[in-house]
Amino acid sequence: MSILLDLREKKTSLNSKQNGGRSLLWAAVAVCGIVSQFVMPDFLLAQGSEAMRQYGDFPLVGSRVAIWVAAQVHLLFAAFVLGVPMFAVVAEAVGIFGGDSKYDKLAKEFTRLLLVAYSATAIWGAILSFLLVTLYPGLWLYLVEIFQVSMWVYVSLFFFESFTLYLYYYGWDLWSKGRAKLVHWTLGILLNVWGTAVMFIANSWLTYMMSPPADVTPDTAPGMVQFWSAFANATWMPINIHRIIANVVFGGAIVGAYAAYRFLVAKTDEERAHYDWMGYIGNLIAIGALIILPFAGYYLGREIYEFNQQMGITMMGGFMSWLWIIQAFLIGVLFLAGNYYLWVGMGRIPGAERFTPYTKWMLVVLVLGVMVWATPNTMIADREEIAAMGGTHHPFLGVLGVMSAKNTAVNLMILTTFLSFLLYRRANSRPTVTWARTATIVQVALFVISTFVVLFYGVWGYFVPAITRIGFSVYQVLAVLATIIGVITIDVFMLRGAESRGDIRWGQMPARSQYALFILAVTFTWLMGLMGFARSGIRQHWHVWEVMRDTSEQAATPALGYAAIVISGCVLIFFALVSFIFWLGGLAEKGTKVLSDTAKVEARPGVSQ
Amino acid sequence: MRKHFSGPLGKSVVILGVAYLLLEFGIAYIPPLFGVDSGPIPDSVLLQYMVTVAIGILLWVSFNETLWEEFKAPLHAAMVEPRQRRTRVALIVLVPVLVGLMTFNSVRPSIAAPPSLRSIHPAPPGQIDFQGRSMELAGVENPLRSVGSPEEHYLEGRRVYYQNCLPCHGDGLAGRGHYAQGFNPGPASFQDVGTIAQLTESYVFWRVAKGGPGLPNEGAPWNSAMPAWEDFLTEDEIWSVILFMYEQAGHEPRTWEEEGEEH
Amino acid sequence: MLAEHLKIIGVVVGTIGIFTLLANAIPQVQSEVPLDVSFGADVSASELTASGELLFGSAGGCTACHGLGTRAPNLLTGNGGDGPIGVRCNNRVPGESCKEYLYLAMVDPNVYMVEGYSPIMPDMRRSLSNDQIWALVAYLEAQGGEVTVTGADINQGREDSASSASTATVDNGVAAPASSATDPVDILNGNACLGCHILNGTGAPIGPSFDGIGSRLTADYIRESILDPGAGASEGFEASLGLMPAIYGNQLTAQQLENVVMFLANRR
Repeated sequence: MSILLDLREKKTSLNSKQNGGRSLLWAAVAVCGIVSQFVMPDFLLAQGSEAMRQYGDFPLVGSRVAIWVAAQVHLLFAAFVLGVPMFAVVAEAVGIFGGDSKYDKLAKEFTRLLLVAYSATAIWGAILSFLLVTLYPGLWLYLVEIFQVSMWVYVSLFFFESFTLYLYYYGWDLWSKGRAKLVHWTLGILLNVWGTAVMFIANSWLTYMMSPPADVTPDTAPGMVQFWSAFANATWMPINIHRIIANVVFGGAIVGAYAAYRFLVAKTDEERAHYDWMGYIGNLIAIGALIILPFAGYYLGREIYEFNQQMGITMMGGFMSWLWIIQAFLIGVLFLAGNYYLWVGMGRIPGAERFTPYTKWMLVVLVLGVMVWATPNTMIADREEIAAMGGTHHPFLGVLGVMSAKNTAVNLMILTTFLSFLLYRRANSRPTVTWARTATIVQVALFVISTFVVLFYGVWGYFVPAITRIGFSVYQVLAVLATIIGVITIDVFMLRGAESRGDIRWGQMPARSQYALFILAVTFTWLMGLMGFARSGIRQHWHVWEVMRDTSEQAATPALGYAAIVISGCVLIFFALVSFIFWLGGLAEKGTKVLSDTAKVEARPGVSQ
Repeated sequence: MRKHFSGPLGKSVVILGVAYLLLEFGIAYIPPLFGVDSGPIPDSVLLQYMVTVAIGILLWVSFNETLWEEFKAPLHAAMVEPRQRRTRVALIVLVPVLVGLMTFNSVRPSIAAPPSLRSIHPAPPGQIDFQGRSMELAGVENPLRSVGSPEEHYLEGRRVYYQNCLPCHGDGLAGRGHYAQGFNPGPASFQDVGTIAQLTESYVFWRVAKGGPGLPNEGAPWNSAMPAWEDFLTEDEIWSVILFMYEQAGHEPRTWEEEGEEH
Repeated sequence: MLAEHLKIIGVVVGTIGIFTLLANAIPQVQSEVPLDVSFGADVSASELTASGELLFGSAGGCTACHGLGTRAPNLLTGNGGDGPIGVRCNNRVPGESCKEYLYLAMVDPNVYMVEGYSPIMPDMRRSLSNDQIWALVAYLEAQGGEVTVTGADINQGREDSASSASTATVDNGVAAPASSATDPVDILNGNACLGCHILNGTGAPIGPSFDGIGSRLTADYIRESILDPGAGASEGFEASLGLMPAIYGNQLTAQQLENVVMFLANRR
């Protein structure tokens, strides 16, 4: 803390030396403890009395928590609303071009969920903006000054998005044949375009707060900030990419939870079969996108480091370092729950018995991976334990606390998860092509090679300088990605025209597996809250990093425990609202009989991918 | 006896027990047999590992219906079957007692300072005031690597090390100096891959120059006994001792990533 | 059906609960805002106490040890019959007033250990600003005693820490803290400026006179000349170029520098 203080004082003194005449003003204003100068310095200079208020006060929980909850819940709904159309459109396309109408029904069902969640998103967006205006008027004015044009565009895009959504949903049955169907599909794509544009605009506001352009200083008048440089700031694109992928994961997870709920309360076998299948698709989307999410996260992290080392180090090694241990634990839960769902699901696939002996070992790999991944570099210990270890850094396990070990663990976990999917896919089919045996050997070889590559670079990473080691993680990732792509390609061709070992008994799933889907959805939602806290928290006591200071009473960045309570509150609010909304959706569905023919699914897992 | 451990429940108990022994004692005592340094793991980490193992076991026993039923059967039997009355009574008594003990243990007042989260490598400042003047840390490499003879710097560094650092950090640079036992936290071992090998030279410079008193907030608690060496050594002496440390420990300093480079 | 719903709610709430517990089980580090209180010279005792009370329970982290358990003396209660800290502080150490003792206890806590406790308290200057520490002193004094902290104490402390911030070696006495004067004439005298410049007729004519300097030079030029004296010489003093040391940028605090510049610029 004292260092921060030093730095800050240094900065002030530098400013005063450079800026001459203004420095007295600065000193005076700083002593008064008012930051209004960002908005209207001349006015303040003139009278120095009470200017327009900078902060409002929210009863009971305080402004910080109020704005935090509003932003987080809005974001959760928005993520759902942006993620679902992406795979709804894909599902519709599969229905159109693959000729399987049950995907079309599925897409429509997704869209119905979307429709009911859409207004909740808008309501929470309104709550967020009103809270921002009333509780943080100073910051709001500052942002308006820079971003007003984009705010108008935002609103109009929002308008287009709403109406496209209405057309898309209500026109579903109207435009269901021939060219009209294609037009309808185009509407779906358009919906995604609007949605993505809306998100990109909103992202620019918050990334500006994180990483304002370097030429913006505390005494830059907001009106003088170049719009485009503020808009396309350093972390804007990384956040865009990261959020697009995360929205897909999140959408998949929530759809999975919805299906699980409907499965559990289903009254007929038909319903159970349908929602079992839907849950499977949701899980597939969530885990599939989750596998690429770390790479987007890595890109974002790099850009943050590039923007400001100090900020990057605060995030990874500073007071937030423990957050990543919690994150590792949560991702471990995601991996375990996702795989568990697949393994239990093999119980309903004839022919899957062949693979049951292997699941045990895949579980062992995953558990070991989670243990390694969550091993803290700095361990929590009391005095005696520290003395026994010879420092807070364990002489033996310390090896597991560094990036090499963690990258290796997570890559092996990704490979294992992929293997689970593969076995699941393979379970009830018997390939008929003549080269099936050779292809399987090649696939196994790919797995073995990539495992070897991952382990080799993981171990070798200890013997080279850090700069080289960072490069190694790229080789590990490439090996894993190459394996995934190669194996999938072989598999697709190999299983063409494969014989079935018997129909999948959709709906014959133990309830446990459905709870795994719930855990998946809850964990992912909570994880989003946690990462939101991390992203927002690394700004620490700045509204706009090193440009506009937070001078409110609650400027301090809270500790993890406190943050966790707020996050849990947000997640509970979200799930309460979502259940209510889905329940309403269910009411509307009664009488319209969605499930008439989808229940007669005769899908093989090969097709459902 | 054998039959008790053949079902999934029995196996689970055995796995948990073995995992506990391995983690609590195995980690501490097996690596030294092979000449690798080790020590007991703290309770917090032990708990974390055990929970992970327990979750893994639960997932395993609930893979399929048969296994799950077999797993539950003994538990169910112990709860309802008349001839297992003794087991039942024992469980009903023991479980609350155990929970009570754990609760007592965690709330018992103690004179020890609370276990604290001490980040060993806290975030360094971008610049520091070194002996009254400002000094950039970001991107800085050891200036001695580019001037003069490495041999000389090494010898100079060795002199500085043996005059100043030896009492705590020790002859082998392993943090085992004569006074090392007196400190908590103990002096850093430079042999360890987790210390200087992970850090840039300017980071090490910052730590040497500012010592324990200069640690930022997340480096708390403030009991590091490392003096602020800027008061006793010149800039070149510090750089040379850093050079010596890396050379002697056989580590390469972490290098700075080049601006704008993409991987 | 109801049972199924309850189970689902149980799983959801249970999962959230486990995550919350986990995040709360680790030691908590809050990222505090550096320097968030600042008092004027005429700060009132009640303002200080109120601010101190807030700090005592939050950012100061005092209650982690004082008042809970047996790690440190309880400051707000009798602690075995001696009365609360505002009463005790006067006779803790002979020769130190309550205020001095409390301040010392915070910046160098292990000098006067209370018997029976281990030296675990950190130097509070690491986590609190000077003003915050004084606010805490005032608050503790108010526990049964009279608040004697004034704006002058705070200002004095502020200058001490400002001048030692760059060296951070107060305790070792290695680097002498620069003068903490704020009056421009004192600063000019203290830094031996009049060895070369003339002020009110006294001094030496080696550099340009300070008398009437404001009519010849602008404030910016004066500031630049102090910070970077080698940049150029005034007319008639070319021979002296390079004589003036370029140390004042580091030696003066920002406030001192500004005071001097403004003082000089106004001497028309």
